[in-house]
Amino acid sequence: MVTAPARAEGATPPARRRRRRPPLAPYLFVAPFLLIFLGFGLYPMAFALQLSFTNWRGAGALEWIGLDNYIYLLTSEDFWGSLANSGVLWLLVIPGQVIVALAIAVALVKARLRNLFIAALVAPFVTPLVAMAQVWIVLFDRDFGAVNLGLRDLGLPAIGWLTDPALAKPTLALLVLWRTTGYAVILLLAGLQSIPSQVYEAARLDGAGAWTQFWRITLPLVMRTVSFYVVIGTLTVFQLFAEPYVVTDGGPFNSTRTAGLYLYDHITNSDLGLGSANSFLLVVMVFALSLASVRILRSREDG
Amino acid sequence: MTNDYRLTRRSLLRGAGAAALASGFASVVGCAPSNSGSPQPLGTPSFTAPPSGEITIWDRSGDLYRVFDKAIASFTAKYPQVKVNHVAIDINATLPNTLITGADVPDGAFYDDALIPGIAPHLYDLSQLIEPYRNDIAPYKLGVATVEGRVVAVPWDLDPGLLFYREDMLQTAGVDPAGITTYDALIDAATKVKAAFPDSKPIHLEANEFLSQLWLDMFVSQQGAAMVDAEGRLTLDSPAYRNALTFLHSVNQQGLGTVAKYLEPTDVATLDNGTQAFVPWAQWFVFAPQQLLTETKGKWRATFLPAWRSGGARSGVMGGASFVIPAKARNPQLAWLLYEYLTFHPDGYRTVYGPNDVYPGGINTSVPSYLPALQSEALFEPVAELGGQDLWEVATNAAREVPGGYRIPIWWGRAVDYLGVNLQRMFAGQLTPEEVIATSAEQIQENLIDRP
Repeated sequence: MVTAPARAEGATPPARRRRRRPPLAPYLFVAPFLLIFLGFGLYPMAFALQLSFTNWRGAGALEWIGLDNYIYLLTSEDFWGSLANSGVLWLLVIPGQVIVALAIAVALVKARLRNLFIAALVAPFVTPLVAMAQVWIVLFDRDFGAVNLGLRDLGLPAIGWLTDPALAKPTLALLVLWRTTGYAVILLLAGLQSIPSQVYEAARLDGAGAWTQFWRITLPLVMRTVSFYVVIGTLTVFQLFAEPYVVTDGGPFNSTRTAGLYLYDHITNSDLGLGSANSFLLVVMVFALSLASVRILRSREDG
Repeated sequence: MTNDYRLTRRSLLRGAGAAALASGFASVVGCAPSNSGSPQPLGTPSFTAPPSGEITIWDRSGDLYRVFDKAIASFTAKYPQVKVNHVAIDINATLPNTLITGADVPDGAFYDDALIPGIAPHLYDLSQLIEPYRNDIAPYKLGVATVEGRVVAVPWDLDPGLLFYREDMLQTAGVDPAGITTYDALIDAATKVKAAFPDSKPIHLEANEFLSQLWLDMFVSQQGAAMVDAEGRLTLDSPAYRNALTFLHSVNQQGLGTVAKYLEPTDVATLDNGTQAFVPWAQWFVFAPQQLLTETKGKWRATFLPAWRSGGARSGVMGGASFVIPAKARNPQLAWLLYEYLTFHPDGYRTVYGPNDVYPGGINTSVPSYLPALQSEALFEPVAELGGQDLWEVATNAAREVPGGYRIPIWWGRAVDYLGVNLQRMFAGQLTPEEVIATSAEQIQENLIDRP
């Protein structure tokens, strides 16, 4: 028989002794993260917030100008123009991409050679972006692009894919779709695979067909993953920089100057106060857009 | 009793709040930049003979880096106790951020003139060091290197505007290049060329927004003007811009122009297949027949730009670069010693411009801004790809034609979003010259000048 050891007379109860000990260990465990977060996360953010109320250009003392940067941006055609460009790209990319990626993911769930298809889909995502952007230029050049050479062979006129303001955004959106759809498929595939097979078995026993299963089981249960991808996709589109920078440099006539490219213009011209204000406005707007998207998708899920 | 060690939500929030407060406080109190907004003067070096130490110098990658590498070797042969770390880098993309962060700042860098005003607060004021050479530097170049009365760069090269033309096409069309003395005469010549070669659109019209603004500045500087006057007031609404834009619009409207981005595939193809016959451009266009064109190599020639009025200046400025010494350089005086050697010492500029392993005939894409070098014997050889033409003579004489008065405002690069874009809209038929002037002036005034 095991008995509890006798407590020494007058000794402090162990529980109380532990309670008195300063709870140092948890803080030590989180300290490395906190220090890194403070140094490289919170501090730069706080400094950027401070900069957004100044007209600092990287040298000299900070001069407080209040809300002038924010007022300037919120009344600037350039700022809203860049947001509109990003908004149109979002419309061209995200809704269609989610539908196509979901269809591909559903087709791949039980497909043979699934890994081969996945590898093919992911290849554009892991290929260096600048190299792919250069390929896009070669494909869509008005005079020497492969696409227009094909059109010419068919007796059709050349099209200014990257030089016509009406076509430059769709051409750029095509590049974004080509690059990121594989990632969307993988994410949605993971979401589909997490749905328990018993649910489908029960539905089949109840006489549900393939379409009913998709509409009543697959879609509601994958909606959380879709919401997650929409948020990620929204962030990607509104931060889009390298593609328009390399392929069109924001042209023609600023028609592909995205929010990310407009922000870069401030930074590269040492206009750091305005750039910081632009960053914070973008954060607020992208957060609101992501929240709205998730709300809409969640309402579908709940319904 | 593991609960005793649990980090409660309240304590976590308290800790995070304190951290945020500390961080915010530090950002407000401790992070105010300490360097002043005005360039600091760099005094005359006082070396313990011989000069010694180590410097890091940035140059553009490519052939230019290799040429400067040779010149630096000649410098270190003269000053063996100076070690130069010569780095090839994308300077335009890297230097502005490096100057702001202050990390790994080079002791000196090669930098585009058009962009220097934007980084001027981060540079040494070299006025005192330049003073002995002031009268020997091309006046407009000294003006470009001067920001708010301080010389912030060592003026390096001159890039005079020239008229490149296809000699064979002009001969066939019966055009005497010596007769193209005004822009009206250029339109007449282009009309004759088009009559002889119906598929041609003889005059190059630049489609790149940045380069087209630089190009427009060449036409304007040729008239002794710039985007701003001496008081910094916007001068787009002026005869100089009106003349240049009206000429370009006229060329485009009459079907006499090929709108193409400089040396991109369409441009190279139309330069090589007889579509283009005239390219009014800076001296550095000579790179094309030397390196890119195949069918027309040897058929191009260079002459002065036409004048805007009879007897007017026959060249303008387009581009150029200088050497800058950052205020956070560790060895600014050694960097100055190097740049003084390269720019003002015959052994220095001859090593850069003269024949070398990289360019057997010497670098011929620009000429020095240092007048004694400009007036010396030819630094580079006649150009075989221009039919053996003596480009040195043409370029140095053109450089002397460039009027003073050219200025680069601090926001020049950002003006491309307005003036550069509107110029392209004009080529696309969306704007008239007057609309380009009015729209660009309003946009630049509102977004770049009046902004807080």
